[in-house]
Amino acid sequence: MKQRHYILITILSLWIVTFTSWQIIMPSQDVSLSERRSLAKFPSLTTKTLVSGQFMSSFETYTLDQFPARDTFRALKSWMSLHLLHQKDSNLLFTKGKYISKIDYPLNESSIDYVTQRFQFLYNQYFSSHDMNIYLSIIPDKNYFMSSDILKPDYQRLVQMMQEKMNFSQYIDLFPLLKLSDYYYTDTHWKQENLIDIARYIADEMNVSLNYTYETKLVEHPFYGVYRGQLALPDFSDQFYYLYHSDFDDYRVFDYETQKTIPVYDFEKLNGSDFYEFFLSGSKSLLTIENPHAKTSKELIVFRDSFGSSLIPLLCEGYAKVTAIDIRYLSPHILDQFITFENQDILFLYSTLVLNHSETIK
Amino acid sequence: MLFSSITFLYYFIPCVVLIYFLVPKRLKNGVLLLSSLFFYAWGEPKYLLLMLISIFQGYLFGRLIEKKRHTPWAKIFVLMSIFFSLGTLAYYKYVDFFITNFNHVFGLSIPLLRITLPIGISFYTFQMLSYIIDVYKEDVQAQKSLLNLATYITMFPQLIAGPIVRYSDIEKQLNNRHHSIEDIALGLRLFLVGLSKKILLANVLGELVVIFKSTQQTTVLFYWLYAIAFTLQIYFDFSGYSDMAIGLGHIFGFHFPKNFDYPYISKSITEFWRRWHISLGSWFRDYLYIPLGGNRVSKGRWLFNILIVWMATGFWHGANWNFILWGLFFAILLMIEKLWLLPYLKKYSVISHIYVLLLITVSFMIFDATSLSEIVSALQSMFHLSSIPLFNDASIYYLKSYFLIFMIAIIASTPIPKKIALYIEEKHPTWTCILEPLFFLGLLVICTAYLVDGSFNPFLYFRF
Repeated sequence: MKQRHYILITILSLWIVTFTSWQIIMPSQDVSLSERRSLAKFPSLTTKTLVSGQFMSSFETYTLDQFPARDTFRALKSWMSLHLLHQKDSNLLFTKGKYISKIDYPLNESSIDYVTQRFQFLYNQYFSSHDMNIYLSIIPDKNYFMSSDILKPDYQRLVQMMQEKMNFSQYIDLFPLLKLSDYYYTDTHWKQENLIDIARYIADEMNVSLNYTYETKLVEHPFYGVYRGQLALPDFSDQFYYLYHSDFDDYRVFDYETQKTIPVYDFEKLNGSDFYEFFLSGSKSLLTIENPHAKTSKELIVFRDSFGSSLIPLLCEGYAKVTAIDIRYLSPHILDQFITFENQDILFLYSTLVLNHSETIK
Repeated sequence: MLFSSITFLYYFIPCVVLIYFLVPKRLKNGVLLLSSLFFYAWGEPKYLLLMLISIFQGYLFGRLIEKKRHTPWAKIFVLMSIFFSLGTLAYYKYVDFFITNFNHVFGLSIPLLRITLPIGISFYTFQMLSYIIDVYKEDVQAQKSLLNLATYITMFPQLIAGPIVRYSDIEKQLNNRHHSIEDIALGLRLFLVGLSKKILLANVLGELVVIFKSTQQTTVLFYWLYAIAFTLQIYFDFSGYSDMAIGLGHIFGFHFPKNFDYPYISKSITEFWRRWHISLGSWFRDYLYIPLGGNRVSKGRWLFNILIVWMATGFWHGANWNFILWGLFFAILLMIEKLWLLPYLKKYSVISHIYVLLLITVSFMIFDATSLSEIVSALQSMFHLSSIPLFNDASIYYLKSYFLIFMIAIIASTPIPKKIALYIEEKHPTWTCILEPLFFLGLLVICTAYLVDGSFNPFLYFRF
């Protein structure tokens, strides 16, 4: 029977020694591509960091971030929670068939109050003295379309609050037009290839006509969205398509951050972790897109979040110039330094995810 | 440093074990002491000196008591040491509580000191008190080696969250202990069981407690989910820690006393306290209840003794009125049982189980509250005496989400898993030989996965 004890001690010791040695020998990783974040490095060891305890807490983070086969362990944890323990979510992430999504519950009314105050500021500061057509459109997150056994915010109340507090705008209702298949399996966002009708509907509501016929192109590599990286389960992926029209090659997209012209579609981003940055180069505070083929001189200003990146190129057909502003990265107080507000159409295009967590809005 | 951390599991403990078993016998206590000081300093560098001073005074007064035995000086020295230990504990743990209440009663505004509680102070202070009192009572001899006494007090397995190991429990092992493969393997098993209780049950249940506390939309059902989750969490958190401590003790050749014995299967509150935090209960019994006269006094005095002991037990857990109330709650229950209820509880097994579980759940609502109004609100809500709804989408969602975990936790809080393991071991010894290492390796792998995922990982008893 002594053998039994030796076997136990040997197996456990081998496991621990293997992983400790592996972590020591393995070079530190800079970033976790799956989680899209930088990883902790070995902390600096000084008298000050030792006495303050900072070294110790940083070392704990380092050992977690740099643990060998980290994504495999994270996947095991997710699998345990969702499949073995039958928890409804793991770190708020859940799966339904091929879809991964994240609980966003409950409705945060103070967040709606805050975001509408910021929009009201924009109206008072820049729009109220001009004859402008102002539109509001809300993009439901994909949980809206999922079965009723998950926790969801009160979408009806969210829309009602937005409409009441933005009574200076005309509401364009996208909820009935969208369906679950318009969203990626593994990401928060909607798919551009499914947005042609959405773009036309929005344009119609803004008295603009869109008629382009697009070519749908497939990116060869599979797309792993943000939720897939967070959940770490390997069985989920997407195919990534985009819509192409030859006029896009002539659009002049100007990025105010870099003061450079950029393409409508940034193919370099397909080498990174977030394919969605392919559309208008991802998170950009201020862009203008000039359409030399436009048959009108009308201009559009879109206040938007990341969902807008894939839709805006489709709206450009109907305008001579589209300005895309993300006030999560640019203070609304200084907009007049870059834009002359005159008679442009204004579209507030936001997802429920940002509206319900508006603390990032400046 | 937490036991349930990658740093401890993959760096600290392999290094310490390796060095410990490589050095000759005479250096083993030195290795344990140094590693314990490193372990403590890792989490609490600024209070290391305080602990060392506490040890030194204990050593000094212990030697002086022995030297001046049977003279009035011995009593003076024991009182001085007790005063030092309790004074330190009072200052670091209770001073703001006293100032707050003093301000409240006298309408003053003396500023609070806002001192950070040194980790483990309640545990090592009580160990030092037991040592010094036992030396005075001649139950043990004063330790002649400062190194050995320091090794006893600082020993990292039990330093910061118990069990409260008395000097008399390990006096002989400090000087001469035996190491065996059986002990090491048993230690590993106990450690991994404790680690799994902590990470896979307590932490997961703790997440539900945190979700409940952050919600604005409470319901009767949600209050019950929280109450049951917290009741199970605190058991698996603390008993898991105790199992890990006892397991580590075995690896280093020490046999620490059992601290939990399936308390939730008790049929009375009296029995519950014989099974819950046994080392604390027996400490208060031996160093407070019996010196006060125990039950060999008049009935009135006896009840008074119970009241004092349980107030002290509650107060030991934290510097807040809810802890005192928690202690008083048990004092009253114990008095009722001892005076009248116990014979009936013995007769009706099912009712007595329900009675214990209900009252224990209520008691932990008192324990976890931050104010008296929160206690009232929680109890009103649990019994639907407030205006909150019976349930809503969120409470149904979490009931479904945690149902299996509740079931596993409830079964794991009974002796059933142990009985199954013993049955398999007896009937299929060959299987056990193969399956057991795989089972424990599996537990280690899963615990590692939960840690690497950065899951919720507090230790409830670190605040005591």
